[in-house]
Amino acid sequence: MALDFQQVREQVRQLGENAPQREQRLKELRDQAHELLQQNAHDLDRLRAKVQRVVQQHDPSLRCALPVQEPLTAHFALPALPERATILAADGSQIGLDRHAETDYCLINVGAIQMRLASPEPPKPTVSCRLLYDEQLYTPSGTITDATLALMRDLNERTILARLAAQAEPPVVTFTDGPMELWGGKDGDGEASEFQKSLQEYLGVLAQLCDLQAATAGYVDKPGANLVVRLLEVGLVPEAELAEIRRRRPLRGVTDADLYRELLGSGERSPVYALQSQSARNYTQALALHFFYLNVGRPGKPWLARVEVPAWVVDSREMLDGLHAVLVSQCRTMGSRPYPYLLHRAHETAVVSLQEKEQVTQMIALELRRRGVQIGEVSQKQAMKQTAGRTSYKG
Amino acid sequence: MRTIEIGRLLRAGTSGFVVGCRVSQLNTPSFGSLVSVSLEDGCQIYGLIHDIRIDDDGLVRQLITAEGVDEAIIADNRVNRNVPLEMSVLAVGYRQNGKVSHLLPPRPPLCLDVIYLCDDEELCGFTGSGRYGYFRHILRAAELPVGELLAAHLLQAQAAHQRAGDYEWAISATKELIVLLRDDYPTLMTAISTLGDAIPEIWDMKGL
Repeated sequence: MALDFQQVREQVRQLGENAPQREQRLKELRDQAHELLQQNAHDLDRLRAKVQRVVQQHDPSLRCALPVQEPLTAHFALPALPERATILAADGSQIGLDRHAETDYCLINVGAIQMRLASPEPPKPTVSCRLLYDEQLYTPSGTITDATLALMRDLNERTILARLAAQAEPPVVTFTDGPMELWGGKDGDGEASEFQKSLQEYLGVLAQLCDLQAATAGYVDKPGANLVVRLLEVGLVPEAELAEIRRRRPLRGVTDADLYRELLGSGERSPVYALQSQSARNYTQALALHFFYLNVGRPGKPWLARVEVPAWVVDSREMLDGLHAVLVSQCRTMGSRPYPYLLHRAHETAVVSLQEKEQVTQMIALELRRRGVQIGEVSQKQAMKQTAGRTSYKG
Repeated sequence: MRTIEIGRLLRAGTSGFVVGCRVSQLNTPSFGSLVSVSLEDGCQIYGLIHDIRIDDDGLVRQLITAEGVDEAIIADNRVNRNVPLEMSVLAVGYRQNGKVSHLLPPRPPLCLDVIYLCDDEELCGFTGSGRYGYFRHILRAAELPVGELLAAHLLQAQAAHQRAGDYEWAISATKELIVLLRDDYPTLMTAISTLGDAIPEIWDMKGL
């Protein structure tokens, strides 16, 4: 038996037993958060100064929203779609190093798709595959990891967007799935230098997009972040207790989506915030990371997304409005499941199925055999997993 | 001879095969059309399209829920995406060494073989050869809409024969059908009624 359902059932019962209390407590916290948002709506200078004080004196790793110039409760109606624009979306997938397989390789597959607004022409898909083998499977700190591969994938996504944007008819709107901020090795980690190298390349690609004046964004569906909530927490904690800010989480459990779900009408966006985090410091001036929440749902059925954008997009109202309108339009194309159509198509273009992975493995094995090179064997563990299940006698 | 490629073979058996094609290739073939596929040994298999299926997938289902679908999105799904479009074909005969046979083909075509739509010359060549022996395969396929398939096929074949100056083919074919179905009154009446709807002038033709 794979799972003891008797054990699970008992724990599910306990989960259900506690759920109403938890829900009630969360409701009270959400109400408190809403009140705080209203109270602090125009107190932008005080909040900014307090966050900066916390970062300088108590917690340099503080991660929260930083108000820019729009009140915290501001909401902006859906702007008109630009008359013309080129829309570009990219997504990527990867095959990681599998030590149980008979051959060692990694693969990064990035799919991008491009369409012209108000044009009946079908969108143009582009695929870029990169096979990694031999020495490419090693980094200065050892063998390539899933995190490094994900970093390379993110970099490739943005690179292909920059390449296509350079050839596209302006104005250009580009987006990828997930945050724009790169995640990678911290100081002291063996992969830190590798991350720094990728980060510099990534910043270079962002700078190219900035030079092209292409509106660029990272689209986060169903955001679970509490960046604005954390800002409110910082605002709430008395000055004398700021030294304890890391442990002070009076609104734990409340998310930013809870704050803006009812505040934003269909198609509306929240105020733009700057991102305060340790890694966000890598993105300076025109590349500084910002974000806003967007209600891409229908009237009566809100659905929030967080949209990360660099400063050059925030600084241009035309670019920001164009991005806002294009994203809502893309989401509405998908009807009852609002998600940017082109991002879904980019995902379809990029995704590598298990069957395709098997085919690539076979291609490599055949090539090596053809050249008389000895190939490895599937691990015993993997071979056992692949054995057929129980068969029945059919007479 | 003008040949129009309509797709490639997905799967096959001796009595029929299934062809896959892109939506953009669907302009020419229609229900009842005669198609052909060549085997490596030169044998050419003929079949009648008896079903055209357009399957959905998750994205298409999702797009249906939107208010109005942009032209570019429709084009994307028809041109770029792998929308499964299948045509089922009933094998009705073959040509080997230049001779047409209305028996089942000796072996089925292979996967990814190219399927062509038959032009007038080929259609007249196949249907005008012998004594309508291929009708047997259609009448035997009880699970198919036999009357509709016969009517669609006869309509297309009659037009091709008339363009070639032969105005008697449809009368002769209908007479043969009546003979073949003389012991199966319900099917005969369905076929005759459908034929009457499809080709009303057939009742005015001399000799029927």
